[in-house]
Amino acid sequence: MELIGYTCSYIPVEILSAAGYRPYRLLHGDFGLMEKSDPWLRVDACPLVRSNLGFLLEHQQRFVAVVGSTGCDMSRRMLEIVDAITDIPTIIINMPRTDRLEIYYDEIDYLIKRLAELSGGRIDDEQINRQIRVWEGLRNFYRHYSEKRRENPSRLSTVSFHHLVANFHQGNTQPVSYSQLEVSNLPRVFLLGSPVGYESTFLLKIIEKYLRIIWDYNCGLSRFLNVKIKGKGVDGIKSAYYQQPPCILRRPNKKFYEFIKKKIVEYKPTGMVLSTLDYCDAYEFELIKIGNIFGLPTLNLRSDFSFQNRSQLETRINAFQEMINT
Amino acid sequence: MNNIPGKITMSEWSEIFNSLPEKIIERYCYYNNNEWGRYLQPPATFFVYGARELKRLKFDNSLAALRMWGFVFNESERLFRAKQSGKKVIATCGDLGTVPVIIMGFPDCIPFYPECIWWTPFFNESNVLLEPAHQLGAPEAACFSKAALGAFYKRAYFPKPDLIFASTGASCDDYSCVLQLIEGLGYEIEWLEIPYRRGFDYPERFVKYLTNEYERVYKKMKNLTNFDKPEQLAETIKKINRLRLRVEEIKALVYNADISPLPALELMVIEFGNLYGYADIDEWLDIVDMIYETVKQRVAAHQGVLSPDAVPVAWITPSADPYLLNLIEDYGMRVVETEYVINQALVKIEEAIEPFTALAKSFMKASLIGSTRERIARIQKAVAAGRIKGIIITNMLGASHCAMETGLIGYYLRDVPSITIDVPAPSGITEQIKNRLMAFAETLRQGYYE
Repeated sequence: MELIGYTCSYIPVEILSAAGYRPYRLLHGDFGLMEKSDPWLRVDACPLVRSNLGFLLEHQQRFVAVVGSTGCDMSRRMLEIVDAITDIPTIIINMPRTDRLEIYYDEIDYLIKRLAELSGGRIDDEQINRQIRVWEGLRNFYRHYSEKRRENPSRLSTVSFHHLVANFHQGNTQPVSYSQLEVSNLPRVFLLGSPVGYESTFLLKIIEKYLRIIWDYNCGLSRFLNVKIKGKGVDGIKSAYYQQPPCILRRPNKKFYEFIKKKIVEYKPTGMVLSTLDYCDAYEFELIKIGNIFGLPTLNLRSDFSFQNRSQLETRINAFQEMINT
Repeated sequence: MNNIPGKITMSEWSEIFNSLPEKIIERYCYYNNNEWGRYLQPPATFFVYGARELKRLKFDNSLAALRMWGFVFNESERLFRAKQSGKKVIATCGDLGTVPVIIMGFPDCIPFYPECIWWTPFFNESNVLLEPAHQLGAPEAACFSKAALGAFYKRAYFPKPDLIFASTGASCDDYSCVLQLIEGLGYEIEWLEIPYRRGFDYPERFVKYLTNEYERVYKKMKNLTNFDKPEQLAETIKKINRLRLRVEEIKALVYNADISPLPALELMVIEFGNLYGYADIDEWLDIVDMIYETVKQRVAAHQGVLSPDAVPVAWITPSADPYLLNLIEDYGMRVVETEYVINQALVKIEEAIEPFTALAKSFMKASLIGSTRERIARIQKAVAAGRIKGIIITNMLGASHCAMETGLIGYYLRDVPSITIDVPAPSGITEQIKNRLMAFAETLRQGYYE
């Protein structure tokens, strides 16, 4: 099945799938891929965007289109480069930063229209409802695993969870099970921050050598589980995707903080790891606030997907663990 | 006054200023107030106030330019005066040129752009605004518009605004994030949504989205002022169009003259005046008219401020450090086309249609809400016509659109050489940057690329 790339949590996989394509979330975090985009992007571009562009350039023939949104400026602009230098068609939808439901709803209608043109078919409610069942079923399946992370003691590592949910993000509609118990009594922490790339296992491994991530709000990990489609048809999708807990780039971003606070009360973590990518405006500007507002010990990690600071990262995470234990 | 056009230093301006008759100094005042509104002062006055870079800059030697600089540097004082005298001071952020048109339709309401304070750290050769911004959360590698955060925090650069409108959406992320931090300081912000254009054949509903936002601005202003005359907006649009037309006339004269009749730095200040008239639109209009007359006379007399063989270049993305605009002229280049991310403030607003719709349609021509290709189309045309021999792109490390657009700009404008300069922090222009610019000018002059 041909792949359709997408870049944002507000782009409904059900609709991409209903058009007959396999939705592939662009979440690459590989230094080698980044180099391939160097002729087009400056070094101060987001490493995820650089890596995703490199991946698209390397695998052009596999993609029937790429769908992006205005959710993040660099991601949106990446699509223009794709448009300029490849034959991959691109579709960009407006993802309002403020509470403008009508804009999002109109844009989803536009997306459906464009996808129908692209696939040469119709996308009707029956197809949509079928896809809702498939993808909502998958979300339920992975919610079950996410809950294992939360149990006390935690029974699933986020390293393993990351592997599992990569299937969802890469459009695999066959549930992939995992039965191994990974009980941990390490300090229980939240992970927040920039997207976690497919190739970011090394970072999660270092973190979980000293800490256990019991919940996250990262693209690439469990953020997609916050979409809960209750209604039917396109309206059900629009409502569920729009109502999901907000991205930090929403304006104002008060609701984002309220949501995280609620989760802290619910999960009672002992600390928070904030992982940001270089030049990720979304989180870099909020680091100080996040460090102050939640009343939790917070560790800020910064990455460009390279392994160069691996030892330094490990030392800092280890020190953070010692601090929490103390 | 010397009638031979040229560029002079701050000290030279002081000497000339001393010979100016008092009646000329008295003639110019903001808010039409001769008691406390005088602003004609030599650059040295503002140097004493802290604008230390002025000692390095060279200025146009016309009275019109002196008037312009005095007025522009006086803005901070003007905003405080406005507040003291009972006017409403309204911060309009992020859209660069459209919301102020609505604000100006209300009596005694003064719009201003906090982000335009990004020049201040460079004029002042100081990190006094950038440092607090960093301490409040803005990364070091981010757009210099973060100076606005420092200014809101320090409360010494403009009075507390009566209202703050901030645009977000398909704009650069940096400033949207800066504004979020400003809100975190306790300022109440009215957020406005900017749609992504998706080509010039965009759906009509995008105009409607914007119209709704502008109507919201109007309602907020109505509630603030108890003034409700929507027809006034049509009058303001006419005034703004007069300004925009005049600025286009100046640009055309400067760009097409055999000898450049006005330096690039002054011309940049004039272009940015379109955003909000530096907080006194009527006075600014008068200044721009005066500059126009000066430029026209110079062109007619075949006189200018640069060498006749200066190499024509285009400038893309404004430089936060004004010194760069001086430097390229010192090295034998002249700016004959610009893309300063403010296209929305340069275009004519339709007068024959409903005013909010007219504003929305004008904003749909904005620089940053569409593709890079659309943004630099005008420059592409100028390159194709052979009017431009090189491209200067100034960037800010970490600014979202700079990181993504530079490669594409080079690609679309590959028929001419280009140079990209990352504008360094205040006082940061090194010999290396100067050498690069010199070498670029040399390459263009010798026409190797041809």
